[in-house]
Amino acid sequence: MRVLIIDDEEDTREIAKMSLSLLGGLDVIEAENGAHGIEVASKERPDVILLDMMMPIMDGPSTLEALRTNEATQNIPVIFLTAKAMTTEIEKLKRMGATGVLTKPFDPTTLAQQVQAILEA
Amino acid sequence: MLDANFRFNLKIVHKGAILVLVPLLFELVFLAVLTELLHRAEVEVQRQVRSKAIISQANTLSKLFYDAGVAMGGYSITKSPLFSDRYDKIVRQIPQDLAELKKLVGDNPKQQTILENLQKITVTGLKILGEAKAAIDDNRVDVAQFRARHMYKEIRSLADKLQDELRGLTEDERRIEAESPEKQNRSRTILKLFLVAGVVFNILIAFVLLWFFTRSIKNRLDVMTDNSFRLARGQALNPPVGGGDEISHLDGVFHSMADALMEAARKERAVIDNAVDVICSIDMDGKFVACNPACYENWQYSQEELLGKRFIEIIAPQDISETIKSVRAVRAEKGNMQFDNRVRRKDGTEISVSWSAYWSEKERAMFCVAHDITERKLAEEAIRASEQRIRTIINHMIVGLVIVNQDGFIESMNPAAEGIFGYKAEEIVGRHLLALFGDSKFFSEHNENDTMAFMETLFNQALNRIGEFDCIKKNGEDFPVELSLSELKTHEGERYMANVLDVSERREVERLKKEFVSTVSHELRTPLTSIRGSLTLLSVGAMGKLPDQAQKVVGIAERNTIRLIGLINDILDIEKLEAGKLDMVFDNSPMMDILERSEQSVQTFAANNGVKLEIMPSDAVVYADGDRIVQVIVNLLSNAIKFSPRDGTVTVVTENAAGFVQVRVIDRGRGIPEKFKKLLFQRFQQVEASDAKKKGGTGLGLAICKGIIEQHGGQIGVESEEGKGSTFWFRIPPARTDSTLVVTGAKDQIVS
Repeated sequence: MRVLIIDDEEDTREIAKMSLSLLGGLDVIEAENGAHGIEVASKERPDVILLDMMMPIMDGPSTLEALRTNEATQNIPVIFLTAKAMTTEIEKLKRMGATGVLTKPFDPTTLAQQVQAILEA
Repeated sequence: MLDANFRFNLKIVHKGAILVLVPLLFELVFLAVLTELLHRAEVEVQRQVRSKAIISQANTLSKLFYDAGVAMGGYSITKSPLFSDRYDKIVRQIPQDLAELKKLVGDNPKQQTILENLQKITVTGLKILGEAKAAIDDNRVDVAQFRARHMYKEIRSLADKLQDELRGLTEDERRIEAESPEKQNRSRTILKLFLVAGVVFNILIAFVLLWFFTRSIKNRLDVMTDNSFRLARGQALNPPVGGGDEISHLDGVFHSMADALMEAARKERAVIDNAVDVICSIDMDGKFVACNPACYENWQYSQEELLGKRFIEIIAPQDISETIKSVRAVRAEKGNMQFDNRVRRKDGTEISVSWSAYWSEKERAMFCVAHDITERKLAEEAIRASEQRIRTIINHMIVGLVIVNQDGFIESMNPAAEGIFGYKAEEIVGRHLLALFGDSKFFSEHNENDTMAFMETLFNQALNRIGEFDCIKKNGEDFPVELSLSELKTHEGERYMANVLDVSERREVERLKKEFVSTVSHELRTPLTSIRGSLTLLSVGAMGKLPDQAQKVVGIAERNTIRLIGLINDILDIEKLEAGKLDMVFDNSPMMDILERSEQSVQTFAANNGVKLEIMPSDAVVYADGDRIVQVIVNLLSNAIKFSPRDGTVTVVTENAAGFVQVRVIDRGRGIPEKFKKLLFQRFQQVEASDAKKKGGTGLGLAICKGIIEQHGGQIGVESEEGKGSTFWFRIPPARTDSTLVVTGAKDQIVS
């Protein structure tokens, strides 16, 4: 399973990548912002996208919107990875078409399991 | 003047009766005596008449007897029937006369005896005469003559006897007859005397009684008349008149009345003397003629100083002309009039006085009551100042005030409200409150249905509480306000006061704060994500096995990072809870789902601590924010696990309790000392100071739980016995039948 991580923080991307690949055994590709993420996604067609909320240039929700309007990416599940874990926002994101929401800071030992749990749900 | 009779306490009625009855009694006695005297005179006259009759009758009888003898003599000689007839006639006549005489004699016993003898004599005589006549008729003249001679003697003696008897009979009568005129005369004299004496006596009695009653009634009436004059002059009354009749009663009543009048006058005097207000009268010349003692207290002038003083002299110079006008008006006016002025007291200070004056044409004087209203004036002044102060406050307050009537039409607004809405008060007064609201874009302030519906919404959302609304300025600009409506009970009726606060700026600040919190949380979490991730990856050996020392150090770093993350999360939560901004999404949520999610969250932690979780199944459905309840249960479970001994069990029971759904988290740990129970739900409170270090945790968990449960309208608590374990419980409302999604945040706080 290939996971695309879109996050402007290089360190976060790195940790997430290591968690998912080293501990979860998943393939991980990265993008450093929304626009780049859309590009990678449409090219690489990952199985799931982990999307950061707050990013410069193009933030998470805008990116999700763009992904959903793009034919190549519209069916790829998107899981938000956010530091703003307010209940109302989670509801909002889900209504926007997010498959799930994971909060930062995440537990690297269980991240892969959590992603899989969301996808299976 | 105290007569013996007064001791009988006769009433006037009785006295009047005596006055009439005593002479009447005398009259009656007089009449009776008079009647008796008359009767006696009458009897005397009758007796005289009878005596005359008896004498006459006796003489007649005597003559008849002689006549009978003569007739018989004649017959014996002549045998003439002429004599015979005469004789027969006389013989017939004699008994008749006897009977007549008997009748006249009546029941006089002496005369009756005489009459009986007379009768016997007569019978004997008539018998002899009868025998003589028989002999004559038989022609036995000789015998007859013989007999006649003999008989004549007998007759003769009989006749004499008869004469004697008759004399005896008439003797008394004659005496009576002789005595009678004298007797009658005496009787008449007595009668006359009696008549005169009676009349005189009667008159005398009448006068005595009259004198006596006049004395007892008139004198006392005079006393009473005098009393009435005394009462009018206010002098002491005469002592009470004696007696027990109507006059003395009237006198008693008069005395009581006088006492009552005196008492009333005394009270009136006392009232006037003790009155706080000055009560005075002022004559035609404007001078004081009477005044009560209050003048000293009020004006510092004694009564003596004031009497004779001109009224105008005590009036403050600046009020004199007005006062003169007022006094003229009082004199022109028939009734009572009031006017205010200032009185200059003896010491020169001035006081405000309200005069109530009345001009009496009869007394040619003005009667006044002067009431000191200085304090009232001062109070009025204070009220005016206070009103001015309030007016100033209202005019300078930041909050906009809009006063509307019951239907919502604007009556006034303060400058702040003018500033907020951009209207001048005079532009907006009379229009409906709706005109100031964004709703006026869709509804008309001129449509009654619209304004009524609008007011209803306004009452529902802002009456005695703060509601948020979108308002519109005169220039059409929209802006948010906080508005609260309160009822104003004024003397003109019910009004509503709208307190309006333009919250545009605050909204902006709030937005910025929200952004700041969000940014801070993001900014803090981003590096922590990397740190925590790195440490975890290291500690789980993702980078290869670490030397033991390194493993230990990385473990310490990881644990503390996790603790730091928890602290940041908790601090953000508690800030939001306290600001009432912890977002919650209420819905009907099955408890089983919540319990399962909670269990999943703590499974690893429980396993690591060697604690067994025992979640009792439940089919309860609650009206709650599921995620927040999960947060609470996870918190309680984490605590329970932390404080449970290895191989211990933590049990979760869900049940119904008093209309709520109650969740109990039961551990068999060390329990909580009594003194900590209350503190437990406060911030940064832990049973032991070392717990935070030993067991981890921020000390905020239970405070957050309490905030969340309370925001659900529920309760949270703990029961514990030291050494035996603790049971944390909370109660939240069960599912609603009219299930609607409700999002709560900072809105609609009720103003207490």
